[in-house]
Amino acid sequence: MPEHVIKRDGQTIPFNIHRIETAIVKAMGSVQCHQTHLLPLLCTDIERELSGHQPCDIDTIQQVVEAALIRHRLVDVARSYIAYRRTRDIERERRSKLNDDIVGLISRRNSALLNENANKDSYVIPTQRDLLAGIVARHIAKTQLLPQDVVQAHEHGDIHYHDLDYAPFFPMFNCMLVDLEGMLTQGFRMGNAEIEPPKSITTAAHVTAQIIAQVASHIYGGTTIDRIDEILAPYVTASFHKHLTTAEQWNIADVNAYAMQQTERECFDAFQALEYEVNTLHTSNGQTPFVTFGFGLGQGWQERLIQKAILKVRLAGLGRNRKTAVFPKLVLAIKEGLNRSTNDPNYDIKQLALQCASQRMYPDILNYDQVVLATGSFKTPMGCRSFLDNRQQNSEHPHAGRNNLGVVSINLPRIALLAEQDSARFFALLHQRLALCFSALMSRVDRLKGVKARVAPILYMEGACGIRLKADDDIFQLFHDGRATVSLGYIGLHETANALFGREPHIYDCEHKQRFAIAVVETLKQATDQWRQKTDLGFSLYSTPSESLCARFCELDTKEFGVIPGVTDKGYYTNSFHLDVEKKVTPYDKILFEKPYPRIASGGFICYGEFPNLQHNLKALEDVWDFSYRHVPYYGTNTPIDECFRCGFQGEFNCTAKGFCCPACANHDPQSISVTRRVCGYLGAPNARPFNAGKQEEVKRRVKHLATPL
Amino acid sequence: MNYHAYYPIDVVNGPGTRCTLFVSGCEHRCRGCYNAATWNPHNGLPFTPQLEERILQDLADTDIPRQGLSLSGGDPLYPANLSAVFSLVKRVKQELPDKDIWCWTGYRLGQLTKQQQRVLSFIDVLIDGPFVEPLKDPRLVWRGSQNQRVVPIAAWLAANHRVDTQSIG
Repeated sequence: MPEHVIKRDGQTIPFNIHRIETAIVKAMGSVQCHQTHLLPLLCTDIERELSGHQPCDIDTIQQVVEAALIRHRLVDVARSYIAYRRTRDIERERRSKLNDDIVGLISRRNSALLNENANKDSYVIPTQRDLLAGIVARHIAKTQLLPQDVVQAHEHGDIHYHDLDYAPFFPMFNCMLVDLEGMLTQGFRMGNAEIEPPKSITTAAHVTAQIIAQVASHIYGGTTIDRIDEILAPYVTASFHKHLTTAEQWNIADVNAYAMQQTERECFDAFQALEYEVNTLHTSNGQTPFVTFGFGLGQGWQERLIQKAILKVRLAGLGRNRKTAVFPKLVLAIKEGLNRSTNDPNYDIKQLALQCASQRMYPDILNYDQVVLATGSFKTPMGCRSFLDNRQQNSEHPHAGRNNLGVVSINLPRIALLAEQDSARFFALLHQRLALCFSALMSRVDRLKGVKARVAPILYMEGACGIRLKADDDIFQLFHDGRATVSLGYIGLHETANALFGREPHIYDCEHKQRFAIAVVETLKQATDQWRQKTDLGFSLYSTPSESLCARFCELDTKEFGVIPGVTDKGYYTNSFHLDVEKKVTPYDKILFEKPYPRIASGGFICYGEFPNLQHNLKALEDVWDFSYRHVPYYGTNTPIDECFRCGFQGEFNCTAKGFCCPACANHDPQSISVTRRVCGYLGAPNARPFNAGKQEEVKRRVKHLATPL
Repeated sequence: MNYHAYYPIDVVNGPGTRCTLFVSGCEHRCRGCYNAATWNPHNGLPFTPQLEERILQDLADTDIPRQGLSLSGGDPLYPANLSAVFSLVKRVKQELPDKDIWCWTGYRLGQLTKQQQRVLSFIDVLIDGPFVEPLKDPRLVWRGSQNQRVVPIAAWLAANHRVDTQSIG
């Protein structure tokens, strides 16, 4: 007789023959069989048969029982027994998490899953296929791929293993700066086509859209084109020469004026087409790709033309109603001597950018000198806020083609709650958690070892990652030696300080809390530095945007610790180092409050200000931009840019029970209004696709940073 | 004079980044007024020399440059407010001549008293007229209802010789 039985969920329990006996009695009862006198014989028979299996599993037991029943000519009983087992199997399958998630998706019950990402329209079939793949990938990662302590910590909410619906099941990475220049100048192969270097800005922009679509289908985070104005400038020149030739052929009087006018028009059209393409793309990830364009440093007329085209296209809006485009995210570099001050050669571009930001929210700005101070060199973030360092400073292309391998975030408020007002204990617990984060991050990295370039030709063989490998080459050579970053994220610094030191005074008014908060982030930074030294990997500290995480951690902590004022009572945790969204301060004060953090958390950061409608006061917006230039590297302005297509009102809609509502004419028909809010680093349209509950609450509580009387 | 609120940094009331003072006291009592708590001249806090000093300092700040001062309320041209407002705007113009002053009043520009006109000569832009609720329009810039006007005073004075410039001290 076997000593142990392995249950279906993997648990081992002692073998008990009475369980089998009970099952047979039930089966006999259901077919009115009265031969219970056979039971002892049957049981001995089964025990003897099973003794060869040490330990044995449920399937083996069932087969042996069935065989024994048939041997004793109890065919009806065997049939009933089999039917009963089958019903149990189906029941068990129904109760399983995997099945529950899949049914939740089909029946649209699981709103957490459906609203997890505001960029995914969970009604459409390709998105549902992506979500389905995500459910399976997550299930298998948790049950088969990840260390069990990491899975438990994730489930329990100590840490968050981001993007489990993609990696580690798939050997995918997070976000990247595409080496567009290399791909365009050297050509590449995509699908069935050989793509040659483009000969006009129209073609170059079109090919760029194709590349973005391909790349975004192979990674799960953001796709960024850094310095797009400089990279595409040669194709503006090519277009100019083409138009010049035409002018000469047709004996046009002023060939230069003609060619320039045609080139300007072509450039605008090319970027308008690119914006439409990006916004109509649907990647295999079931969403519009998260695309970011970084631009602004180019000085030639070609680069200036591109910069103006990008901004004018965004200002023009999408479609008949000229709706605000949500993608690509636009990030403009501001640099003294180039475009910052009145006498700078590209100051006109800054003015256009201010107009654009006031009407369309983007561009956000990268303050050149501050980016260099924080991260060692200038570059656009990968995705919305992930920054590379300057490790490859001797290379000719220090950033293009590099990437981030993924994020694991730590739940700081949880640790503070466990520490029970004891800072020393907080730091001791924090160090324990960090060891777990390291092992979680290493599981991300390890999954990419031994993977061949052929899994993503666009990334590894055709140049997006900057180096072209052969199909069977190992991709890991692109990631080691700090070429790729892998990030520790964190959330809820505000709630952490409250949990340890009480709700009052507010951290904004409390130097002690501020010093503590900085010490926490420095501790995290030290950990990533140590991990860097221990491995040859580019560990970095990243200020997590936490679109769905802000609610998830808070919910789990509320379950465990209850509703704690200043900590779990809002339904969400504050984003990374950001100032509590409810605190009324000026945007200037907010910038100064957040100033210390980007330099510590140099692997990912952004600072925001909440503004009233500034479409008629660009100077005020410029004042804040100029102030930010002296203090923070990366700044975004959130301003109400809602629009009513019925009465023409532009500004901030009221959030009512009927949904978003025009304050001028009370229109709340989603078809004829445009409502835009920033969700994480990106924009979203909450009237079309609702945010998750925690984010919605956070957005509702945001106060304008310009309403503080003395 | 009492004041209702002082915003050291404001971007909503006038162009650029500004300092904005909401004074107490208003006799127009417009229906739908967004700031009815400021009607009573005894509401709010006394406007002190310290606050006047603070406003001058804020306007002179170079770290966060201000384009100018905005006076709203209440009504800065409410008769009981005129002496305090006059001394404030005169001082701002004398000490910080490159700062502009915007003023919101419920009185009509053509119907100001001699005392009110004295203040006018230190003001760059006046937004005049009562708030008329049926004429309310959120699309308007710097004003609430369609009857109200945004008037650059220098140009208006040049066109309307209504103020005896000799009488301005």
